[in-house]
Order: sequence, then C-alpha cells, then structure tokens
Amino acid sequence: MNTRSIRFRMSIWYAGLLTVLLVLFGGFIYFALEKFLERNLSDTLAKDAQTIGESWIRDVNQSPAGYVAAEIEEHFAPSITGRFVRVTREADGNILYSSAAPESGAFDPKQIRPKRFETSQSLREEHLPGGKELLIFSLPFPDRTGTRYLIETGAPDDQVERVLRGLLISFGVALPLIVGAAIGGGYLLMRNALRPMDEIATTAERITSRNLNKRLPVIPSGDEVERLSISLNRMMERLEDAFHHIDRFSADAAHEIRTPLAIIRGELENALQLPEISVELRETIGSALEEAERLSRIVEQLLEVSRLEAGEILVERTRFDFTEMTRTTVDQMRLLAEEKNLELRFESTKPVEFDGDPLRLKQIVVNLVDNAIKYTPPGGSVSVSTFPQDGRVVLEVADTGIGVPKDATSQIFDRFFRVDKARSRQLGGTGLGLAIVKSICTAYNGSVTVRSAEGRGAIFRVELPLEKKYEMDHA
Amino acid sequence: MIRQMRLLVIEDEEKLAQVVKRALVAETFSVDVAHDGREGLDLANSYDYDLIVLDLLLPQMEGSEVLRRVRRRNPRVPVLILTARDAVADKVAHFEAGADDYLTKPFAMAELVVRVKALLRRGTLRRESVLRIDDLELDRLTQQVRRGGKRIELTPKEYGLLEYLMANSDRVLSRNMIIDHVCDQSFTGATNIVDVYVRHLRDKIGDSDQQLIRTVRGVGYFIANEEPA
Repeated sequence: MNTRSIRFRMSIWYAGLLTVLLVLFGGFIYFALEKFLERNLSDTLAKDAQTIGESWIRDVNQSPAGYVAAEIEEHFAPSITGRFVRVTREADGNILYSSAAPESGAFDPKQIRPKRFETSQSLREEHLPGGKELLIFSLPFPDRTGTRYLIETGAPDDQVERVLRGLLISFGVALPLIVGAAIGGGYLLMRNALRPMDEIATTAERITSRNLNKRLPVIPSGDEVERLSISLNRMMERLEDAFHHIDRFSADAAHEIRTPLAIIRGELENALQLPEISVELRETIGSALEEAERLSRIVEQLLEVSRLEAGEILVERTRFDFTEMTRTTVDQMRLLAEEKNLELRFESTKPVEFDGDPLRLKQIVVNLVDNAIKYTPPGGSVSVSTFPQDGRVVLEVADTGIGVPKDATSQIFDRFFRVDKARSRQLGGTGLGLAIVKSICTAYNGSVTVRSAEGRGAIFRVELPLEKKYEMDHA
Repeated sequence: MIRQMRLLVIEDEEKLAQVVKRALVAETFSVDVAHDGREGLDLANSYDYDLIVLDLLLPQMEGSEVLRRVRRRNPRVPVLILTARDAVADKVAHFEAGADDYLTKPFAMAELVVRVKALLRRGTLRRESVLRIDDLELDRLTQQVRRGGKRIELTPKEYGLLEYLMANSDRVLSRNMIIDHVCDQSFTGATNIVDVYVRHLRDKIGDSDQQLIRTVRGVGYFIANEEPA
C-alpha cells in the first residue's frame, strides 16, 4: 500500500479525526452518565431517609419498641437490596435500627463508623477496609418531642462504577470497530472518488509527441475532475500547437534552404567546368562545394528528424532478420574501422525476425557504428551485438573510445548537441546522427540509451519491441 | 550527326533554372526554360521535347498537375522531377503519377546530368564486356581486374566501385551516387565511407598519384580516360 497516496492519507486523516471525535464524545457521555447516576443514587438515598424520618421517626416515642425496625425492614429490606440503613439517637448514640449485612456480602455494616451528629444533612463517601466504598446520606431528624435522630441511608458506590465500566468496555470494543470500518469504507470511497483521476492519468500517459491529437475523455460531472480533464486537454491543445509549429518551422526552414542551396551548388559546379581556372580558384570552389554539401546533409537530416518526430507513417514494412541486417551493415563498414586501425567485432548469430523498414533500421546501425568508429582512437575496438530480450530486439554498440561525460548522456540524442564542439566539427559530422537514431527508435516505439564511463568507452543500447505495439497506439 | 536533343526545364526559381540550363547546355543539349506551370505546360504541348525537367512547387499550376496533363498527351517523354520534398510517400506518388526519375534538392549538377543522360539512353555508359583505361583492364564476364597484365584481387564492393567509375569514365560521380551504387541510401550523410573505399581502391590498383581516379573536391570522383592535361 502506498502510504503517500492521497487515498491512504485521506483515509488516515478521516480515521484520526473520527477517533478523536469518538473519544471526546465518549468522554462526555462517561462523565455525564457518572454525574447523573451519582445524583440519582444520592437522590434516592435522600428520599429514603426522608421517608424513614417522616413515616416512623416523627412518631417514634408513640410506637412500640421494635416497630420502627420492623417497618424499615418491611419497606426497604436493605439486606436484600444491598442497601445500608441506620437510625441513631443523637442524645445517647443508641442505635434504633441498623440493617444487616446484605445477602450479596458487598459490605459489612458493622465496619461503618458512626457519624458525628450534625445539624444539616450531608452526603459522604465511606471507605471500608477491603477497598469498598459506600455512599452514605445522613439526615438529622427530630421527632415530635424534639429528640434528634440521625438517619443514614447508604448504598455501595460500585453500582455506578459497574455501569460506567460496562460503558467503557462497550466503547473499547466499539471504537476500533467503528474506526476500522471508517478506514476501510473511506479507502473504498476514496478509490471510487479518485477513479476518474486514475483514468485521466492512464489516458494522459498514452499521449506522446506522436499522438498529441488525442484528448482525454471529459466526464460532465461539474466538479474538479471535469475541470482537471478540460484544462489538461487545453494544455495538450497548446502543446500540440507548439509541436506542430516547431515541426512545420523545421520543415519549412529546411525546405526554403534547399532551393538556394541547389543554386549555390549548381553555380559552383558549373564554375568548375569553366576552362582555364587557376588551381587556387579550383581549390576555393572545391572548399565552398564541400561546405555546401555538408549544409545539404544537415538540411536533409534535419528534415528527416522533423518528419520522424511529426510521426510520418513508416510505410515500408517487411519482415527481415535483424541480426543478418546488422551483420551485413557491419561488414560494409569494416573498411572504415580498418582505416583507423580498429577492431570491429560482430559475433551474434541468433536470428531475430523483425517487422519494419530495413533501410531505416539499417540507418540506426550505420549511425551508431559510424559514431563509435569516429570517437574511438586507433588501436581500440568496437563490438556490435544483437539479441532478443523480453519481446524486444536489442542492439548494442560498445566501443573503447573517449566515452560520454555523465552530464551529457541525456542530451547526446538532442539535435545539434555536441560534447566537444571543435572535435566534432573536425570529424565532419552533422550533429544529427544520434538524433536520427533516436527518432527512428521512437517511431518504432523503442528506445536508445547510452552507458559510459568517460575515457573508458561507451555502450549504446537500442531496444525495439518485436510485436506491432506501435500500431495499437495509433489506433 | 545526330539531331541535337531539346530539353524543357520547368522551374520557377529563375537562378536555379539558369544553372540547370547552363549545365545541360554544356552537355550540348538545347534547353528551353519555363518559369511557371502553365507556361511549362504550353511549351510542353507545343513542342516535342526529348525530356522534361520538372519542379514540383510551381506557381499557376502545380508540378504534379503539369505532369498529369503532359502524360495525357505524351506518355513517352521522360520526365525528371526536381523536388524539395522527399518523403517516401511522395516518391511513390511521383512514380505513380508517371515520373521517370526524381532528384531531391539540393542536388549535384553532375548527378542531374548523369540522370538526364541515363533517361535519354545516350550517356557515355559503356556496355562493352571488357572496359579498358590506360593499362587498367576490367573484364565484366570473369569479374577480373588487371593492370599492366597483372591480376589485381578486389573485394566485391571495390570491384563494383571500379566498374561504376569505368563505365562512366570522364564523368564526375557524386558521393551520393557512389553511395547509392556501392552501398545503399542508409549510408548517406553518416560516413566518409566513399572516400575510404576510393582510397583502398587506389592503393590496390597502384594509383597512389591519383592519375586514374581523380578527385573533384566538393563534388566526387571520376576516372579519367584521356591523357592528363
């Protein structure tokens, strides 16, 4: 699970918020309930004390002995209900009635110390040995003769605590379940909410410089998703415009240059035909012609790159053996290597059937091998190999030459990029050889990369998918 | 004396038209020039030209339209197309529309001349089975090369190059033409392979003083049949 995804983070945030709210709510309920239950208990105790006072204590001197105790026993049955009742005469501390130990054995009434007499009613907590707590209400009550009695009613505090503990347990069980359900539900909800984003991303990924005319589907939901796809589409429109502009510009520029260039070359060539021109003039014209020819090559290749990048349809498609094509090409270039005293090796034998334009693909081999030979000093070696790998044909051209500086490896396939300007010009390149390689690779949905340690050679690697994947992309 | 051949050049760039005209006139052709499509078509219809050099991008009437209309009246006149576009699809379209050959701008005049002559079947292309220049001898049947009677071993590529040069003796062949002939188009622009081949060939046939295979700087190579001046 991606812990940095919006979906994950939103779920966690929601869960966290929900937990905090639930805990706050639970706490509130807990304390409110505690207060309520305690008040309820003390009210009951007070009412009982009042009842005892008014029913029996007021007329205690007119009642037969034991009458009060019997009445209380009958009405309240403290030992059964787990209550505590005690009536004490103020003057001599004579206990008129004291409830027996409750049947539940929750507390022992004998352990409850007698209360000092007070003039007003009070509520106290009695701590019994053994950790028991009793809530006791005391009510001073005079009979008709003015003799004062103290009526005490009590109940164990754990009645309240038991309820609260039950509540806590319910909370403890419910909270993780609720939060868990919230996380799961939130995650699913977020996934649903983000699905349109996912679709937009998938479609956007399929759009390259070669099919910029594609657009994202716009779901008329009237929300951020719709706005996102609309603004992405607008951005692509602008991109497409810019791309077309550049391509058309390159094509137009190259095109406009061709005619004057043809005139220059023609004029110069015609001049060479003139009788009696001096050797110096012949050399000068020759030099001008050489440069005109180089300019022609640049224009030619620039147009070629533009066309490939504009997605010119590769009409020619034949099935041929890539390995055999490479071998033939390497053999044709062997002379170039010998000329520089380089070893040119090609040892692959495994045939790889490929669908494409053999001339175009041959150009990849020519340009890469030519490049390797140019940048490898005499005595070095260039080795070429081809092999199939994971549904692709791989072409590797490794040399022992000057290599490519690390900061240049990404730019080396750009048009007119030169690592060492002076040196490249001296070698007579156009600065477009590798750009062409890249455009052809891209046109076949493949890639070209370079690995190099400067000064210790370079390995150019071309990978082209064997299946006709690129046609699907154009569909 | 054979009739002087008459050619029509339809090219809107006046200077380029003049350059082409001069190059062809130097080869003893008679050349008319038209500067737009309509004028070109009128001329083509009013005179029975031996060959038409046709630019594609023309005012008044597109070159392809001119070609279609010329073909309707005269299906046999060779048409060489000059184009500033060279997409493969275009090339196919040109041939389908009835062009006999095409050249992409900018081109070498030497190449234009060779192609024109090839279309007119009137070139200096030698068809003998044994080509001889000075004491260099190339036997097309046995594919053997001798110089001063001494057998020289050549690779198939070197043989092909020498045969191409000798068959077109005294005619300058541009690097492009040589690449097309000896290797294929994928080598265009990428390498100095032609120069390397020529150097090797010179070494093998003992021509290190470059008296046989001569360099025309900026244009290409030719093999000289005549005595050097």
